[in-house]
Amino acid sequence: MRINMRSRSTLRWTSTTLAVITGAINFYYGNTFAGFYENLWYVMGGIYIFAAIVLAANVMPNFVQPTIFGYALFLLSLWAVGALLTGAGVDAVAFVDKGVEALLAVNMGLLIQKSRIQ
Amino acid sequence: MRTPSGRWSTGRLLIVVALVAVVGGALVGTAVGYGFHYEARQTRNIYLFNNGLDFNETTFGLPHDTFTPDHITVNKGDTVVLHYINIEDKPEKHNFSIGVPYNIDVDVAQGQTAEITFTANYAGIFLYYCKYHTPTMEGYLTVQG
Repeated sequence: MRINMRSRSTLRWTSTTLAVITGAINFYYGNTFAGFYENLWYVMGGIYIFAAIVLAANVMPNFVQPTIFGYALFLLSLWAVGALLTGAGVDAVAFVDKGVEALLAVNMGLLIQKSRIQ
Repeated sequence: MRTPSGRWSTGRLLIVVALVAVVGGALVGTAVGYGFHYEARQTRNIYLFNNGLDFNETTFGLPHDTFTPDHITVNKGDTVVLHYINIEDKPEKHNFSIGVPYNIDVDVAQGQTAEITFTANYAGIFLYYCKYHTPTMEGYLTVQG
C-alpha cells in the first residue's frame, strides 16, 4: 500500500512537471513560431499550466486526471490531423512538444490506474 | 464493465476517454485543416523597382516617379527581403522608407541594388515611400495576421 502511494505521488508530480513543460513550450511556440494561430497556443498552454496547478493540488482527482489525459490525447490527435492536412506545425519545437504531451498522456493513464486501485 | 461499487472499470474509463479525445481532436483538426488557410511563416523575396510615368513634371507639379510594385502583401511573421533596384538611366537617387513600427530609411543610387530585410511582426497596412519623390512614389505594405 505504501509502495502504491509513493508511486502514485511520483506519477502525479511527474505529470505536473510534464504539464508545466508542455504549457511552457506552447507559450514559446505561440510567441515565436505560430503566426496566425499564436493566440490559440497561448490558450492551450494556459490550460496546461492551470491543469498542472490543479493536478499538484490534487483537487477532484477522479475528474481532473481523466480530463487531463483526454486533453493531451485531444491535442495530439488535433495536431496530427491538422499537420497532415495543412503541413503546419511540423518543426522541431512542435515535435518536442508533442513528445512531452505523449509522455504526459501515458503518465496520466498510469496515474489513473494507480489512483483507482483501492 | 462496471465495478461492484457502480463505477466504470479503469480500463473502460481510459478507453472511453481516449476514444472521445482522439475522435474529437481528429474532427477539430479536420475542421481546422479545411476551414482555415494557414500558411507557415516564410521568407518572401520581393523585387522592387522605381518606375516613371510619361508626363511633364513641371506642368503638373508632381514627380513622375512611382514604385513597381506599389502593393506588397505578406503574412505576419514572414521575413521580407526587398531587393530594391534603382533602374534610372540618369544619376538620380531613390529611397525606400516606412515609418513606425518598422522604421526603414534606405537610399539607392542609380544602377545600385539595396537589400532590405525585416520581419513583418506588426500586422496592418503601412505606407512605403521614396522620401525624394512623394506623393507619387508611394505604395502599401499589407501585413495580414
